[in-house]
Amino acid sequence: MKTLKEYENIVGAAVLNQLEQLAIHLHGKKVVHVNSTRTGGGVAEILAWMIPFMRELEIDASWEVISGTEPFFNVTKMFHNGLQGNTVDLRPINIEYYEANNQANAEKLRPILEEADFVIIHDPQPALLLKLCPNRRGKWIWRCHIDASRPYRKVWKYLRPNLENYDASIFSMAEFSQSLPHPQFLVAPSIDPLSIKNVELPEDEINAIYSRFSLDPEIPILCQVSRFDHFKDPVGVINAYRLVKRFSPVQLVLAGGTADDDPEGAEVLREVQEAASEDSDIHVLLLPPDAHRTINALQRASDIIIQKSTREGFGLTVTEGLWKAKPVIGGDVGGIRLQVVNHHTGFLVNSPEGVAQRIRYLLNHREIMKTMGLKGREFVRENFLLTRHLREYLTLMVGLQVGFSDRLLAAD
Amino acid sequence: MKSIDKDPVTVDPFQIRDCALITRTSNGLPSLNLREFREQVARCPIDSIYHHFCETVLRPSFDDPEFHNDFAVWARRALHDHVLAERLEILDPYDYPNFEELRREVLEILDDRLAEVTYIPWVEGNRAFHFLRATTVVFDTGITIESPTLLSRAIAEMTTSSLYYHFWEARRRTDGQLDDFTAWLKNWNSRGEPLIEAISNIDFFFLSLRELQKKLRAVIDDTLGRQDQS
Repeated sequence: MKTLKEYENIVGAAVLNQLEQLAIHLHGKKVVHVNSTRTGGGVAEILAWMIPFMRELEIDASWEVISGTEPFFNVTKMFHNGLQGNTVDLRPINIEYYEANNQANAEKLRPILEEADFVIIHDPQPALLLKLCPNRRGKWIWRCHIDASRPYRKVWKYLRPNLENYDASIFSMAEFSQSLPHPQFLVAPSIDPLSIKNVELPEDEINAIYSRFSLDPEIPILCQVSRFDHFKDPVGVINAYRLVKRFSPVQLVLAGGTADDDPEGAEVLREVQEAASEDSDIHVLLLPPDAHRTINALQRASDIIIQKSTREGFGLTVTEGLWKAKPVIGGDVGGIRLQVVNHHTGFLVNSPEGVAQRIRYLLNHREIMKTMGLKGREFVRENFLLTRHLREYLTLMVGLQVGFSDRLLAAD
Repeated sequence: MKSIDKDPVTVDPFQIRDCALITRTSNGLPSLNLREFREQVARCPIDSIYHHFCETVLRPSFDDPEFHNDFAVWARRALHDHVLAERLEILDPYDYPNFEELRREVLEILDDRLAEVTYIPWVEGNRAFHFLRATTVVFDTGITIESPTLLSRAIAEMTTSSLYYHFWEARRRTDGQLDDFTAWLKNWNSRGEPLIEAISNIDFFFLSLRELQKKLRAVIDDTLGRQDQS
């Protein structure tokens, strides 16, 4: 298990000192995070590092996972999709499953939750627990990891009354938030620079990527890592690549996966394979979900990272690319806008032509490409590493403890 | 408590504090056009005005940031109104006695622009302006500065958020819009005066916090160097 000290070389002693100073005001406080899975998915990934780090900072943090049956998870999947704006067939029986499951979990978790100083409920699955813990004494926070900017009304109409009594909620971006009668805080996601996906790799491991995937080390590599999904526009990336290839030799890597239960993903993959079929310089790589080290090496072996999404949440693949000191050409949407700053860390684009033009510009200005990459890495270091994420959680908890009565709060 | 150095004096040591910000939405509706934006500027909490003009300095910045406040950025990048962006960009928040006065000036500019344009500029839904505000949690670092000769070294070791707290944020917190260093140096009478003058000549509004850190050190070192020579 990693310790905060291991991050000192990356973020500096001052950043760790800040965390310690803030955490002094939370020493011994019981903080309980609740979500619905111990493994898999972004939330579990965050909690896997956050709990040990909070404990290292002498906060009594713990992680509870609610249990559930298949009908329950079918309902919560509906909530997830509904919050993202998809129309779902939510019926009274679904609500019954949801409420009964939360009730059963409340029976088990009530003693821990009611005595906690802070309870952080992640996403809608365990959201009803607040109502089912009437003797709670601490502050309760609902953490929404989903883009809830345009929820399907029927889902939001049911969930909203169950969220209103929380002391605060957290959204990843202002654009993802919903109006609620309590403070709504903004905490952007982050990456772990020491995770398998982002850790520095030995040169020979990066070089091994060329032979493994039949890539030519002498020809620039363009790379998009993402699910095979229409919103990631992989066919648009191929079109951009073709526009570039008329002028310069390049190779394109489209690396990603598709879930078994996602019929649309398989369809998009077919379209991509068809579009790429006659060009041996296009490498469509269907990778397993745990191929983190391979993805890491592919990103490091690339010259330019592309994320040509037409719709995007935060876009952590952009963060990963920037961290590897690569310029990123990204769609002008969602969280990509927070990370890609034109002429500084890469370029924001709106069409395959835009992508192609920026690729050609960068390939002809290698020094600028290098400078952008270095800037991007520093940008991530200051803003999108897990230490900033942790600092904002600590700040929020200290603020809730003191009471958000004023703009300026003394921690002590 | 750590101390940068020992230099016994009668003035109380400077206590270095640090801060952490947590941002939240301002509860107003996002603005989709210039008229809605104007109404939200009129109604939003004053802390929102402060956030969009001053707390932006704590966000990532680059060597040559094009804009210094979020209103100008939105006018330029979302509304594509270059005239409005330029008029908003030139506003220096510390040129006004308080942030209500700044709000009045922003409203004047917006009203002027609304009177000039032949149609109300709109943005796409995903380009709406979200009014935000932040809460700053302040904490002690346990480090003190004992004398002006140690100020430059201490500034070099500060985090950018600490520098923000003592230099930018202090102007809203203190009478006379003074930074904390200047307020402390006033206690040193003739030893502090040349440094106060040097610091007051820094046009800090266009500097990033890292640039400000370098600039402060340079003017302090230079002033103390000249004092030594004379």
